[in-house]
Amino acid sequence: MTEFIQQILAGLAAGVVYAGLALALGVVFQGTGMLNLAQGELATLSAFGAWSLVEAGMSFWLAFPAAVLLSAALGAAVERVLVRPVEGAGPMVLLAAGAAMLLGLNALIALVWDTDPKTFASPFGASSVGVGEIRLTSQQVGAAVLVLVTMGVIAALFRFTPVGLKLRAVATNPDSARLLGVRTGRMLALGWALAGAVGAVAGTAAAPIAGLSPEMMAGPLLLALAAATLGGMTSRGGAVVGGLIIGVAGSLASRYVPGLGGDLQLVVPFAVIFAVLLLRPQGLFGRAATVRA
Amino acid sequence: MTSEPLLRVDGLTARYGSVQVLHDVSLDVREGEMVALLGANGAGKTTLLRAVSRVVSTGGTLTLDGADLTRLDTIGAARAGIGHVPQGRGTFGELTVEENLRLGSMGRPGSLRGEAESDLERVHEMFPVLKEMRRRPAGALSGGQQQMLALGRALLARPRVLLVDEPSLGLAPRTTAELFEALAGIRASWSTAVLLAEQNARLSLRVADRAVVLARGGVARSCAASELSDEAELRAAYLGTTPVRTTAAKRGSAEPAPRDPGTAPRTDTDAEEASR
Repeated sequence: MTEFIQQILAGLAAGVVYAGLALALGVVFQGTGMLNLAQGELATLSAFGAWSLVEAGMSFWLAFPAAVLLSAALGAAVERVLVRPVEGAGPMVLLAAGAAMLLGLNALIALVWDTDPKTFASPFGASSVGVGEIRLTSQQVGAAVLVLVTMGVIAALFRFTPVGLKLRAVATNPDSARLLGVRTGRMLALGWALAGAVGAVAGTAAAPIAGLSPEMMAGPLLLALAAATLGGMTSRGGAVVGGLIIGVAGSLASRYVPGLGGDLQLVVPFAVIFAVLLLRPQGLFGRAATVRA
Repeated sequence: MTSEPLLRVDGLTARYGSVQVLHDVSLDVREGEMVALLGANGAGKTTLLRAVSRVVSTGGTLTLDGADLTRLDTIGAARAGIGHVPQGRGTFGELTVEENLRLGSMGRPGSLRGEAESDLERVHEMFPVLKEMRRRPAGALSGGQQQMLALGRALLARPRVLLVDEPSLGLAPRTTAELFEALAGIRASWSTAVLLAEQNARLSLRVADRAVVLARGGVARSCAASELSDEAELRAAYLGTTPVRTTAAKRGSAEPAPRDPGTAPRTDTDAEEASR
């Protein structure tokens, strides 16, 4: 039983990273209608940025917010410069733009920081916390808290602030938003900035566990896609719950399903995607458009 | 009535691709006035409204209180005081009724921010159903309720000119009547001018001060609303032929008199039209 609980907690700790990325994917998808395949690469870039600042002698607690802010700015810049010109060109073009960005950023990261894996010392120390025999590393707990707090801030922003209301309005009906004088372009850039910031938190939180390498977010991005599909692309809360479920499912499957260790546990999220697409295409919490006939 | 019109459209042209849909359209809307934009399907009513709110680009002159509108985009026009209730309502289906209305209030000029709360109450008085359903997603509302929401939302932005596109489309007669009753009152109580595009000519003529009839992308007739209350006149205007009573036309165009919708003459055709 202890081990079972241990596995669940480890799964949740891993799941918050997927949840963070899934949330970033969802925010961009709702605003721009683009499945941003480069979201993981943007997060990797943020993690490398934070690492470089720490290596240069900066405290993690200064480097971290700096990386988050820079990533937000980068997200907005990507929307302005790379996405806006092809915005009206349809989903396939947007998907291709995302794929191109993924390859480009990946190459850029390898060029600047080379492909040797690097270790990112945990800002939370190497101790462990827990009750009785159930133990988690302080890094696992600290990273989870970091991502969860970020998601709470994002949720509150969307739910309770005027700018959050405008963001949701633009995601729902950009034409009507324009007729009401809402600056839609600014809102889309802001959505990308928020996604960049959340991705940066997820990437920086994952780095001490996963190790820094240009490919560090390839697996998590696929898992985040699974999480977003599971929870529903149009539901920010759903993406978070989806991420946690995927994390726990992966953790339990690799422990209890014989022969499913290591990389093979990636099978689990795809089984989940497949099942969701068959049974509930809008996701667990996604809304099929609520429009009365 | 000699002052510069609030909204001036002069020599307006518009095209979708290679198809020209508006040819040299000119019309004025004065402060506090309601102008009915009439015409058959495809006459260019919607395009004209979309041109004013800068959704479609145009040639010709377009000014709001003397300021050039053609240099603005949709967002700029909205901020300059153009309100637009689009055909099909354009509500935010996933947001609640309350949130939809709040988005309207956010678009108002800074000088009127303080009145947002009392204005919201006035919208609730006008359409009590919007208060009852304020926590529902707008997408769950009926067509008539969504139309009320779209109108209320546009009013809360406190526009100087409100464009309303086919409000009666697909609505039950009783709902349409309720909506037009509200429309009749908004000029005075919200101090806005209204340009109302509507296929139901009888209903719009009952609430409007003046009428402009579009046919095949041009202005076929522009006169006081009362002049078209005669069936023959209206038919002539739609068909673009010379009206039978030319004397009435001259009298009306010189001095368009605001009409009280309550005292508008009712005919059998009226009743027929309204109950369709």
